[in-house]
Amino acid sequence: MSLEVAVFSLLALVSVLGALGVVLARNPVHSAIGLVLSFLNVAAIYLVARAEFLAVVQVIVYAGAIIVLVVFVTMLVHPDDLPEFHGRRSLRLVTGLVLGAALLAEVAAAVLARGVRGAPGPWTDEVVAAVGGNTRALGQVLYVDYTLGIQLTALLLLAATIAAIALARPEAISDRVAAARRVLTISLAHPRGLDQPELPLALPGTQDGRVKAAGGGRPIVLARSADEFTEQPAWGEWRGR
Amino acid sequence: MSELSATHFLLLSAALFIIGMVGVLTRRNVLVIFMCIELMLNAVNVSLIGFAWELHQLTGQVFALFVIAIAAAEAVVGLGIVMALTRRTDTVDIDELRQLRE
Amino acid sequence: MERTVDWLVIIPLAPLLAALVNFLVGRWWIRQQAHWLAVPAVGLSFLVSLVAAVEVLGQHHVLRQSLYTWIAAGDFHVPVELVIDELTAVMLLVVTGISFLVHVYSIGYMAHDPGYYRFFAWLPLFVFSMVMLVLANNFLVLFVFWEAVGLCSYLLIGFWFRRRSAADAAKKAFIVNRIGDFGFALGIMLIFTSLGTLEYHEVFQSIPELSTGTVTAIALLLFTGAIGKSAQLPLFVWLPDAMEGPTPVSALIHAATMVTAGIFMVARAHPILLAAPLAMGVVATIGGLTAFVAATIAATQFDIKRVVAYSTVSQLGYMAMALGVGAWIPAIFHLFTHAFFKALLFLGSGAVMHAMHDELDMRRMGGLKRWMPLTYWAFVIGAAANAGIVPLAGFWSKDEILVGAWVAGVPILTILGLVAAFFTALYMFRAVFLTFHGEPRFDPHEIHPHDPPKTMALPLLLLAVGAVLAGFVGVPPENGWLHHALEPVFEGAKHHEVPLALTLGIAIASTVVALAGLWIAHAAYVRATIDPAAMAARLGLLYRLAANGWYFDLVYQRAVVRPLDAFATWLWRNVDIAIIDGAVNGVARAVAATAQLWRRLQTGLVANYALVIALGTVLLVGIYLAFGSTLFR
Repeated sequence: MSLEVAVFSLLALVSVLGALGVVLARNPVHSAIGLVLSFLNVAAIYLVARAEFLAVVQVIVYAGAIIVLVVFVTMLVHPDDLPEFHGRRSLRLVTGLVLGAALLAEVAAAVLARGVRGAPGPWTDEVVAAVGGNTRALGQVLYVDYTLGIQLTALLLLAATIAAIALARPEAISDRVAAARRVLTISLAHPRGLDQPELPLALPGTQDGRVKAAGGGRPIVLARSADEFTEQPAWGEWRGR
Repeated sequence: MSELSATHFLLLSAALFIIGMVGVLTRRNVLVIFMCIELMLNAVNVSLIGFAWELHQLTGQVFALFVIAIAAAEAVVGLGIVMALTRRTDTVDIDELRQLRE
Repeated sequence: MERTVDWLVIIPLAPLLAALVNFLVGRWWIRQQAHWLAVPAVGLSFLVSLVAAVEVLGQHHVLRQSLYTWIAAGDFHVPVELVIDELTAVMLLVVTGISFLVHVYSIGYMAHDPGYYRFFAWLPLFVFSMVMLVLANNFLVLFVFWEAVGLCSYLLIGFWFRRRSAADAAKKAFIVNRIGDFGFALGIMLIFTSLGTLEYHEVFQSIPELSTGTVTAIALLLFTGAIGKSAQLPLFVWLPDAMEGPTPVSALIHAATMVTAGIFMVARAHPILLAAPLAMGVVATIGGLTAFVAATIAATQFDIKRVVAYSTVSQLGYMAMALGVGAWIPAIFHLFTHAFFKALLFLGSGAVMHAMHDELDMRRMGGLKRWMPLTYWAFVIGAAANAGIVPLAGFWSKDEILVGAWVAGVPILTILGLVAAFFTALYMFRAVFLTFHGEPRFDPHEIHPHDPPKTMALPLLLLAVGAVLAGFVGVPPENGWLHHALEPVFEGAKHHEVPLALTLGIAIASTVVALAGLWIAHAAYVRATIDPAAMAARLGLLYRLAANGWYFDLVYQRAVVRPLDAFATWLWRNVDIAIIDGAVNGVARAVAATAQLWRRLQTGLVANYALVIALGTVLLVGIYLAFGSTLFR
């Protein structure tokens, strides 16, 4: 067994352990740590495979940016509110494991039974070194043969940026939600009866949790008849009488 | 198997991919599911690099570069969606996010 | 001698065009002026028929006009050709002449009807169909227009279609006719399969080739059509109910023309019958029985139009009897005279109804003689002609039939005919006396009867003249002008020598019988020396039998209509609802159930969806692994 294989095996093992940690950890932050471990080891494997540029990109983008983003979001989104680990659906768990095992068997059979087909390309180590290293070689291939891909990817990243900004705006969402929440629940079960001239503007204790929950979280208003509120706008300002 | 060949890379890729897949299918926390998706993308990258290694081609590396870029974009948008969703519904349990049902 | 001309088509075309225009645009543009199209059209038809008849009957030519070839499929060749030989000429004169008078009459009779234009669309359409029926030169075209006249009869009987009884009567007429037409169609098919042609000439020439059995079958089947259309014994039940239609319709269709189509058809097909003596016997028997049965029923009816309707059935029976004993020309002679006096009687009843505000029941009439003299005399002439009082039209033609039966060796039919003649006179003058004589049984201050207006009176007059004079075309008996005119058509018929003594004897017998009927009617309804009610009670069962139409309607209702109805209901419940609807609904339910089943996939849980994707992936990879080398070449 050559050195490369030995190193590779070690790195692969740790990477897989990290991956297992992602799946098995209860705390999502622990999953993130497992993910980082896996990514860093894969970066090292890239180094073994003489794809130095990619190894660095892996660290910068994956381990550096994406993981950080994930951890941020995990922190922002109720880190205390952890759903039960496997949930009530054990059937799903079993099905997932079975499918995973099946796929593993299939792919292993495919990989081990067949070899890689394809004509060997020109970029042997010597050629790469002659050009000036992996980065330079990669740059040559990328900017000569895959220029269109670069342009499109740039476009894609632009779109993603815009999407991120659009999705993350808090006020826009709140406005819509708030407007939806302004739909009234009209109660005709008026405690004072139909013959009363004066109406209270709102139920006493409207903000009380129980009553609000009864109205689906919306404010509850009394009316003598369903027609009384037909002139009220559904959205926006509700003018009390 | 004394020489490092594509087979090693492919087996590692398979393992990582399947672990990621099982995680996507099994876990309930939206963010953990997301991390497993990233794991699967990463696994694909490994196999691409393996081919580049075996065939002395740089196309595999170029492809993997693109995958990383796209994974980044996808991470951004996906996390944005997750944030918007959880802001509205106050939960990260994927079993509660059933709006697709209707 | 034959001559091909090109103006014969006017005869059917003129009424057809009038009918089409009235039907298509009558409601909006023509309305009350519809008669201006229909009446001249039929008049033109009559004039052209007259011109043609003069040539055909006077010079014994045959006029022919070929229109087009309808079917040309291999050996099966059906042309549409108009052929006028002597028989057709006589029929054309009757049809177009009586039609014209009825059209004129309808101007006044239907004046207040909102469906005026519709009436003058269907009536010329009927004339067209009947004329084409008569002009056809092959059985298929005959059959087509046979059905067409049936259709027109349906449309006209059910003219006031919103009235339930009228709609039912129209349906009954059509359905009963259909039963006869079924036999008729089978007969035509049999002709075709045995002879390969349907043209009259070719068929008649080829008859000797066929076996007696085949010819008898053909003859009987053809006569079945006549049983339906010409209201012979088992299938006459539609004619009395057909009185639901307007009176001009009854006069035209159910007296003079459509019902005679069956008689015409059998006369036309006489070579076939001559070759099948058994069939002729059947025809004669049915005819005789029809004449007798209908006459007895007529004597018990109180609805004036029903009396005349049963009278028509009875006279048609006479015609069929004549055909059956081989007295072809007397049959056509009687058809000719009958058209006049029967139309006269119907139009007269129409005038009475018109005057009495649509009252039909004779028990509520009476004494109309003093207010409606014209109608009275016209009606009396018609009644006398019908009863066979010498020298009016019916006498000559009816006597020839009775003589014909005697010389053909079936004296029993002559006696049956005489008995029927007795009843004929009885019911006819009973109707006259009940309606016109005696004290009015209605309130003269409420209803003011009067003679009809000119448009209605003129046809009555003309028909009355015809009823008096029409008989003389056949005088002297067996040797008159009509006999000579029709001779070439019935060449193959047997000629019997008729001794003068026989003719005189029958004449005396029939006159005695008719006067006896008149005398009894007079005694019962004018002098009141016989009490009709007591008579009816004394006759008991016989009276009830006659009064209920010999229970034909009842038997049909119980034995045919009700079981069919039950069967249809059973089919409806068990096939239509259970099977067909069940299948359709079942499919819908199956789809819904399947959808419910598949609905469970739509859990909305992303994880489940991901699971399915993973499952699909595993399966695809597996398939590719196993068969990949062979799948993707």
